Amino acid sequence: MRKGFLFDQNKCVNCNACSAACILENNWKVHPRNIYTFNSEAEILLPLLNVSLACNHCESAVCMDGCPSSAYSREVITGAIIHDESKCIGCKYCQWNCPYDAPKFDSEKRTIAKCNLCYTGLIEGRLPACSSACPTGALRFGQLSEPVPDRDYSWFPDKMLNPAFEFTSGNNYAPLKIIPEKMPCETDQKPVKEEKNFSGELSLIIFSFLVTISVSTLISSLIRGVLPEKMIIIPMLILAGLASFFHLGRKLRSWRSVANMKNSPLSREVAALIVFTFVTVVNTYLRFPSLLIVSLVIGLFLLALIDGVYIYSDKSKSVILHSGQTFLSALLIGSFFSGIILPFAFIALIKLTLSINSLKSSKILITYFGIRFLRIAFLIISGLSLISKISYTEPSVYIIFLTGELLDRILFYIDFNPLNIKSLFEDRLKIERDEKKRC
Amino acid sequence: MLIRPGYLRKPVRRQAVMHDQQEKWRMEEFVTACPRNCYSTCTFKVQVENNRIIRILPYSGNLATPEGPCIKGLSYIERTNSSERIIHPLIRMSSGEFKEISTKEAFDIISDKLGSIKEKWGSHSILWYKGSGMSGLTNEIGSAFWKAFGGTTVTYGNLCWSAGLEAVRLTLGSVKHNVPWDLVNAKTIVIWGKNPAETNIQEIAFIAAAKEKGSTIIVIDPLRTPTADKADILFSPKPGTDGALALAIARVLIDYNLVDYEFVAKYVKGFEEFKLSVNITLSEAELITGIPEENIIDLAHIIGSNGPVTILPGYGLQRHLNGGQTIRSILLLSVLTGNIGKSGSGFNYANLQSYIFDDIKEPESYYPDPENDNPFRRTISMAKLGADMLNTRDPELKAAWIERGNPVLQSPDTNIIKRAFSDLTFIVAVEQFMTDTASLADIILPAKDMFEQSDIIGSYWSPYIQFKPGVIHPPGDVMPESEIYFHLAKRMNLNISKELIPEPGNDNIEKWLEDRSRGFSEITIDQLKTAPLIATGLQEIAWEDMCFETPSGKIEIYSSEAMKKWGVSPLPDYSGIIHSPEEEKFPLEFITPNTGSRIHSQFGNLKIIKETNTEPVIRISPLDANKRCISTGQKIRVFNLNGELISKVKVSNRVPSGLVVFPNGIWFNEGGGVNKLISGMETDIGFGAAYHDNRVEIERVD
Repeated sequence: MRKGFLFDQNKCVNCNACSAACILENNWKVHPRNIYTFNSEAEILLPLLNVSLACNHCESAVCMDGCPSSAYSREVITGAIIHDESKCIGCKYCQWNCPYDAPKFDSEKRTIAKCNLCYTGLIEGRLPACSSACPTGALRFGQLSEPVPDRDYSWFPDKMLNPAFEFTSGNNYAPLKIIPEKMPCETDQKPVKEEKNFSGELSLIIFSFLVTISVSTLISSLIRGVLPEKMIIIPMLILAGLASFFHLGRKLRSWRSVANMKNSPLSREVAALIVFTFVTVVNTYLRFPSLLIVSLVIGLFLLALIDGVYIYSDKSKSVILHSGQTFLSALLIGSFFSGIILPFAFIALIKLTLSINSLKSSKILITYFGIRFLRIAFLIISGLSLISKISYTEPSVYIIFLTGELLDRILFYIDFNPLNIKSLFEDRLKIERDEKKRC
Repeated sequence: MLIRPGYLRKPVRRQAVMHDQQEKWRMEEFVTACPRNCYSTCTFKVQVENNRIIRILPYSGNLATPEGPCIKGLSYIERTNSSERIIHPLIRMSSGEFKEISTKEAFDIISDKLGSIKEKWGSHSILWYKGSGMSGLTNEIGSAFWKAFGGTTVTYGNLCWSAGLEAVRLTLGSVKHNVPWDLVNAKTIVIWGKNPAETNIQEIAFIAAAKEKGSTIIVIDPLRTPTADKADILFSPKPGTDGALALAIARVLIDYNLVDYEFVAKYVKGFEEFKLSVNITLSEAELITGIPEENIIDLAHIIGSNGPVTILPGYGLQRHLNGGQTIRSILLLSVLTGNIGKSGSGFNYANLQSYIFDDIKEPESYYPDPENDNPFRRTISMAKLGADMLNTRDPELKAAWIERGNPVLQSPDTNIIKRAFSDLTFIVAVEQFMTDTASLADIILPAKDMFEQSDIIGSYWSPYIQFKPGVIHPPGDVMPESEIYFHLAKRMNLNISKELIPEPGNDNIEKWLEDRSRGFSEITIDQLKTAPLIATGLQEIAWEDMCFETPSGKIEIYSSEAMKKWGVSPLPDYSGIIHSPEEEKFPLEFITPNTGSRIHSQFGNLKIIKETNTEPVIRISPLDANKRCISTGQKIRVFNLNGELISKVKVSNRVPSGLVVFPNGIWFNEGGGVNKLISGMETDIGFGAAYHDNRVEIERVD
């Protein structure tokens, strides 16, 4: 029988004893365990509930499988997923993959830190500090029931990971009745929305965009029958490599990023990047046309792997069918560079449809509307220039076109939202608020 | 147990510690109990390694706290070992800064100063002030010292709960309630002005269990507390109007024939008089409380017909000028519906059944008979500390000795208290940290933490008597009060027997505790050392024998004593708070509740508490914020005639309009100090402090 965390939300009052016990026991610099509150601002007519969460030591540990540096392992006796800080390269890929917000980034050490189930104590017969500390008995550690009972916690993030976490009480989802009754109104405070922070992803945008352009250059070279310009492609690849390197928390350990070829899409991406860079750079000197085909094939393969890295974390339709995917973009940019209209028009239409489609999606309508609008406008302008063949070789058109593609890539990162307890709570709150309040 | 040598012979001590360390290298585990001024009085296990507290674990043998202590209890790991602890005596230099001195020097200065002050102005010119920072029998030891010294001026009354205690005592004869775990048998739980989610967290487990069984949970509180989040219904009356609400409910109980007449006829004195006197109408009640008539009727029907009903009143609602009568009015509801003396029922204000060692129990110990009080002069009201200190004559106050308390931050009217303190010539504070009171002292003596001396403690919620063992050597020059007094007595040639002040060393204190607990054959130290013990003579269901220690032997709705002693109506009544015209200019009510991360002013200074809790903020309602263009995160100024404070604000849906909420216990350096705004006022009965009848205005600080 599997053991795990048993949580009774009816008894949790957000006292933070679990979080404190965790820190005191393990001397963490981060907070591996936190209480997540649905309706944290106590808006009326909406239910309010607390969930204490740290790592759930999932059966299908997606953090471990996805980790490029093999920093995660499963401890045999307790089944705990252990993160080895000394192997961590600080790429934060696990933060995308984990829906429970378990891996935390320690900004001092520049690595991830995560609940280890207090496994050394557990082996000695001591309970994890958090569950032993809970003063109301809301959080316990013990036998999980099998099969998992159906308790309708439909909002709980589920990636089919089989977490060692179970709700032991029914979902008491009735909002508190307050007397005298208040009318919900616009003055009701809403939680301050955390704006997505792009500075952390800037290097990823640069990296993926440069690789896309590099592959596009190869496409147009092949079509036009000229070998790519040494002075363009080599700096681009070096820059791309540097960008991905600087993305890492622990740069000196970057060699570890290919340590999990078996499972991690990120390891495979890095390996493909290395091979692609090597073959492409070598060929700028050797100048074998056949090698150009080889390097283009590797490049397209690399782009597919890059796209795969993201789809691995966020399998939502808006990401899989995003017009900012690198593979699709490379085909478009390649055909634009070569000036061949039919493939361009075809791909551009696909991208246009996808872009307009994302414009419609309600969640992101207002924020970033400007970027979406510009992106579409830029594609149409450069598309028309190409089709009319008037001025597409003008540098300004090139700039407009490439800016549009860059915006598309940025939009990709905006729309890339891996399943996460925080965003799930936010989304659900918005839906329920709209349902119950008319003001 | 540890054998601790005398403190003053330093070389010997060092040797002993080294020797001891080798022995204690291995980890040891002890059962202990938290001595803070808190309902729960949790039992927990503490692991000690190398004279350090390394781990705190739950102890399931205490049925009231089987899951262990709250976040504050967990934080002892940091608190006891904290690098910010004062562990050497400190003296204030003329520059205002503190300098470390040796214990010998400190004692020399203190005995000199106290001696000369006594000589010049008499011993009553010294104020001996005790707070509620640490409970335990050893706290009595100080009183032996000061008696031998010739007596001092001391305080009467209580900051916390005495209005309610006296209200319960007047009505029921004594202050007790059913054991905490009986709460699961209640079909209706009315949590009235209490917030156990933050102040008695283990009670949440019983409330949740009752709810799971289908009980109705009602919270009555102006604020939407985390406790309210767990309830079915929240009634949110205006602050200070609980008495009116209770009387209106009583009115409905009578009008709709929901009174348990059999119970009333048998056990209650004064029902007929009450029936005639209760003249509040529902529409008046709605006007006063803000709770609509039909909802009052609903609430009365739940209380009157969905029994057994347990009412869990808090202490905040009696910190009003009408606090005592408020508690009497709410208690009335338990009485009229026959919810006394049965499982699942009751009025759980406080359970003093474990206070078996006290000759006089609270609240009467707060204002003892002056004859028994000799040689102390009891002229200073806890509620009006500053003003009374300033007004004291013959002799005037010249010095103060402060232990287990932080009156500068926690007593009403900070600005006046500061003035009274600055008039003193000599202040000694026994403290663990540089609190706002300690920082005004001339000498600070480092105080023990809970693991550094054995003691016996009771609880005002659970029925246990507990032993709290000394398990580590105090760090540095830290000395328990008992040893401070021992050495001072010796130095000042006061002749005090060993029975009154034991010699230094934890084994001596344990011997003293043993002597102290003699006469309670069921409870011995050896037994207590193995497990917490249920108090002798405990009634699991309070008053199941239906014997009430009131003058009439019945439950006294009508209490002549109330009138005689306190000059209030013999029957529960409601009087609204009347503000002076100047106060009327300040439109917002100001209340200062406790929070889950502090016991009054304790614990909030610890790193782990700061890290795991959001920073303290003033909370106001969205409506009041909008009116003044205030938004979350800004700094605002809260002010009235008493003073002002500036801190960060949060606009919160949990706060009804017309109310400003800022927890007490936040230190000045964190933007706290609510008592700057609070007048020193006494409650109607019991000499309590009416903290919550102050009005303020707020404005943005740009």
